[in-house]
Amino acid sequence: MRPFSGALRDVPVPRIVDAISDAAERWSDADFPPRVRATDAIVRRMGYSVPVVEYALDRLFTPIAATALRAVIEAELGSLAALDRFVDFEGKSPRRALPVGRVAVVASRSTIGVALVPAIFALCAKCDVVVKDREDGAIGAFFATLHEEHAAFATAALAESWRGDETGDRLADFACVVAFGATGTLREIRARCDADARFVGFGTRASVGYLDARTIADARALDAALDGAARDIVLYDTEGCLSLHAIFIEAASDDAARVTERLTPALQRAAVEFPLGERAPEAAARFAAARDAASFRAASGHGDVYADTDHGFAVISATLDEPPPFAPRTTAIVPVRDPGEALAYLRRHSLELEAFAVAEPNDALTELAIASGASRIASFGRLQAPPLGADHGGRPRMADFIRWIDREM
Amino acid sequence: MTEYADESGTLDADILHVIHAWHRHGTGLDDDAFDRLALRILAYQLRYNAPYAAYCAARGVTLDALPSHWNAIPPAPSAAFKDATLTTFNMRRAALRFQTSGTTQGRSGLHYMETAALYDAALLAGFDRAMLADAARPRFFNVVPNPHERPQSSLGYMMGRVSAERGDRETGWYLRGDELLFTAFCADLEAAIGDAAVVCIAGTAFGLLEIVDLLARQERRYTLPAGSRIMETGGFKGRTREVSREDLYAQLARRFGIDSCAIVAEYGMTELTSQYYDTAASRSSNVRVKTGPPWLRARVVDVSGARVPPGAAGALVHCDLANRSSVVAVATEDLAYETNEGFVLLGRDSEAPLRGCSLDAEQLATRE
Repeated sequence: MRPFSGALRDVPVPRIVDAISDAAERWSDADFPPRVRATDAIVRRMGYSVPVVEYALDRLFTPIAATALRAVIEAELGSLAALDRFVDFEGKSPRRALPVGRVAVVASRSTIGVALVPAIFALCAKCDVVVKDREDGAIGAFFATLHEEHAAFATAALAESWRGDETGDRLADFACVVAFGATGTLREIRARCDADARFVGFGTRASVGYLDARTIADARALDAALDGAARDIVLYDTEGCLSLHAIFIEAASDDAARVTERLTPALQRAAVEFPLGERAPEAAARFAAARDAASFRAASGHGDVYADTDHGFAVISATLDEPPPFAPRTTAIVPVRDPGEALAYLRRHSLELEAFAVAEPNDALTELAIASGASRIASFGRLQAPPLGADHGGRPRMADFIRWIDREM
Repeated sequence: MTEYADESGTLDADILHVIHAWHRHGTGLDDDAFDRLALRILAYQLRYNAPYAAYCAARGVTLDALPSHWNAIPPAPSAAFKDATLTTFNMRRAALRFQTSGTTQGRSGLHYMETAALYDAALLAGFDRAMLADAARPRFFNVVPNPHERPQSSLGYMMGRVSAERGDRETGWYLRGDELLFTAFCADLEAAIGDAAVVCIAGTAFGLLEIVDLLARQERRYTLPAGSRIMETGGFKGRTREVSREDLYAQLARRFGIDSCAIVAEYGMTELTSQYYDTAASRSSNVRVKTGPPWLRARVVDVSGARVPPGAAGALVHCDLANRSSVVAVATEDLAYETNEGFVLLGRDSEAPLRGCSLDAEQLATRE
């Protein structure tokens, strides 16, 4: 068992933040050699096209700026300095935020770099971080850049490959384990953790959108929303928790056909910007299966399907009985009478949400997002661009990685 | 009704003839004969299976526009079993009904069969030729659902029939719900070894993995009586802990004291009536090739449904002539590549996993 090194203990947090920011800035440059190598590896591994991976890496690294990191930490902890020393807070004893200890971030087959954000906030909390990743070397490569920024990261920020077993550092040896996975995986990982460890699980989530009748009636507003929706669908082949897996259409079912008609050219345009990559056979099989299953239902008079094999997308007009297809670049158009029916659909199909897309927020849709368990309400087209400080899964960014000590004298 | 019964009876007789001829004499079915029978079954299903007929019509295949080759029969997507009752008969008259795999979306389908005769004949013929070519009557250790407990499990039904017809009357069942009855398994295994009884262990890959894990933890090894064998079914992907087939087979061989050639993979689906097994020639190789009986053929296709060249990966489409009372062709998401002898299964991809913050779907597409 490797003890907590405390390698970052004497490094002032502003220096840590600057080092992370500087490393991220280097990675924001598409020509930075480690990023070029990582891009190639991700394209090979995930089958996305280069523009999709470049977009993802830009979205991942560009927001990691010192000002943004400081703002997130200060908003959450009330003070950046509290990570370095006792700080007076109004109406409270002086407090200091100490690192919780060693933090493991377990990720596998996730969208690009999903482990990075918890890892950098854990480092800001001065924890030791080990990212256990099944197949993605990008985090390890970023950590190598961090090591160049400050030697202490060579001890504090490590990445190791993970096959789901207990090779490498045992999960029981970590004070906090952040894990991304399906329910069974999270349960199994949690069972391996120490009883006192903090466990932060990010389970499987979907994202949906809602087009209200007012937006549908306004051709310009509808087209703008659908252009955004198309990006949310095409990026990462609807494989991410922030992908648009279904769109509720608040209208009669024949309006669904109209929306589908307008969505398909938007998807074709988005697919030009973010072209289809080298789709792996299993992804191709999933796409074909979803498309053909929808075709089968359509042949029996239930719903409709529009598929574009060249651009690799499908829009399925679904009934309330059908769950979203969860296939690459495939989304369901679900006609509903009102937000209540949308909520019933989500509950009926046990869909747990990460994000909820709307064209214009209103009270009814906000209530729907709250009731559905979503942790973000965003505009169509912004689902795949969460702010750095977004509360992923409804969790704070820093709190899991610190413990407070109050000095009452 | 009489016309339907006559047609069904004639088809069943012809299909059973093919099955029995191969079972008893190893007689094959040439391409023309396969095509003729497949297209007769297709025409029959277009008349009596309305949802399938509608799907075929949408693909330009009708009674007036039949294809000329089995390759061109529109395969029903396996998910269609969840959306429609795919039968040529009133499903209330079904002799057998099997539930397809549960899904992360919480829906499963049913495969209804009008008669058990085709299913029984197909499964026994396949099992006899692939697993009992030496005419052994082994003691069955079934690590699959018990058909008394889960009558809608096709795998349980299959092993129930095989055990009853070909076993030594000491069959054991070692799954209760999802619980592995490991203690009973070991006790019965030791008794079988004491009796010098040839053993056949039948289980899903992950059931077998759980057994070898427990044996390893207890540092326990057995030497099964000569002629003992293992039938493995299911896949190897999609769990928190991934294991390769080679690793699992090596562990099974070590823990049970058998040669890895005595481990044979069966590949079947609830949506099919017939099963594939590893060819005898490939059992000593790391690359196991699956082959089916003469009335079952597979092709590997790309996203547009076109057959891909041998060696290229794609999705499997099956044409099972014993699926007389449902759909003759079924498209799957299972990946494979074709070889001269059959196909190599690359993986069984159960559910579309959300990649975002998730691992693979934890549910493996095992046949239930």
